[in-house]
Amino acid sequence: MSKNLRFLVVDDFSTMRRIVKNLLNDLGYANVVEADDGNSAWPLLQAGNVDFLVTDWNMPGMPGLELLKQVRADPKLAKMPVLMLTAEAKREQIIEAAQAGVNGYVIKPFTAITLKEKIDKILGVAS
Amino acid sequence: MSNPLQAEFGETIAALADALAADNEGAFFAELDGLLQRRERMLFLDLRKLTGDLQSALQRFRMDSRLMDLAQKDVPDARLRLDHVLRLTDEAAHRTLDLVEQSGPIAERTAQAANDLMEPWQQFRDRKIAAEDFHRMVRKMDAFLLATSSDMDKVREHLSEVLLAQGYQDLSGQIIRGVMKLVTELEIALVDLVRLSQTGARTARQVSDETRRGLGPQIPGIKTSPAVSGQQDVDALLSGLGV
Repeated sequence: MSKNLRFLVVDDFSTMRRIVKNLLNDLGYANVVEADDGNSAWPLLQAGNVDFLVTDWNMPGMPGLELLKQVRADPKLAKMPVLMLTAEAKREQIIEAAQAGVNGYVIKPFTAITLKEKIDKILGVAS
Repeated sequence: MSNPLQAEFGETIAALADALAADNEGAFFAELDGLLQRRERMLFLDLRKLTGDLQSALQRFRMDSRLMDLAQKDVPDARLRLDHVLRLTDEAAHRTLDLVEQSGPIAERTAQAANDLMEPWQQFRDRKIAAEDFHRMVRKMDAFLLATSSDMDKVREHLSEVLLAQGYQDLSGQIIRGVMKLVTELEIALVDLVRLSQTGARTARQVSDETRRGLGPQIPGIKTSPAVSGQQDVDALLSGLGV
């Protein structure tokens, strides 16, 4: 059932979006939509077609942290699982993301196994 | 009506001319010395004013210009950043080529094994195969199926790694964007410097604080505030925070 989850991948680099989309497909998640920053992600989230958000941090327009905060502040979306997939590696940034309510944090460059583990952990699936 | 020069020097020159006409050597040189001293004092005052102007201009420039920072820290950092980009692209290209090179022979081996099976298979289909050949074909088929299954797993694994290796484009792209921002700042600072040297005026620079937008990847050799060294660090930090 969880394989029918609808993922939204937000990253300003189209190569990274393709990579994540392909990895998600490999993991059996076929339903993946993309957006290139928080601003273009927001209408997709608002439309209610997303079950799981994977977002970069460093993006023009609306950065990932702001998108996360906006998601948590919206009653409809507040409980949405959010995985941050980013090159941002400062301890204070990771703490800030945790305080903003992120469910998982994967640092780039990453491996397919790490991505799977974090998604499974967030979904409460035994890996 | 007298002009400023006359007001300033008229009296002295007249006294000087009188002393010259009267052949009064003492009075002449006394007037001349006084004149020279006044001139020197004026020059000195001008020079002091000029020095003061120059000093305050330099001071002002040093105080609020990013140029010093840019030249001393950011430009060497940019060199390190670009060097890191070079390394990232080099590693990704080699990783990809390695995987392609490893996958090629596997594909070839599979194709070869399939080819080897074709002839006996055709004989079998035509019901012309000898019993001994049939047994050999079945053994070959067993081995082929087993090998293909594990070989294709391997190829699939390689493809997945090729996919991940393309992540360099995102990382190096972020770094290059950072360097482009630096070049823009450098340009603004240099334009300011030119303007300052021409008129002494300065304009407000727009150097935005983009921390909220993110800082980009860590670059080896560039010291910043504490950063994690990898996913394990992130996991430890987050589990400490209850995530």
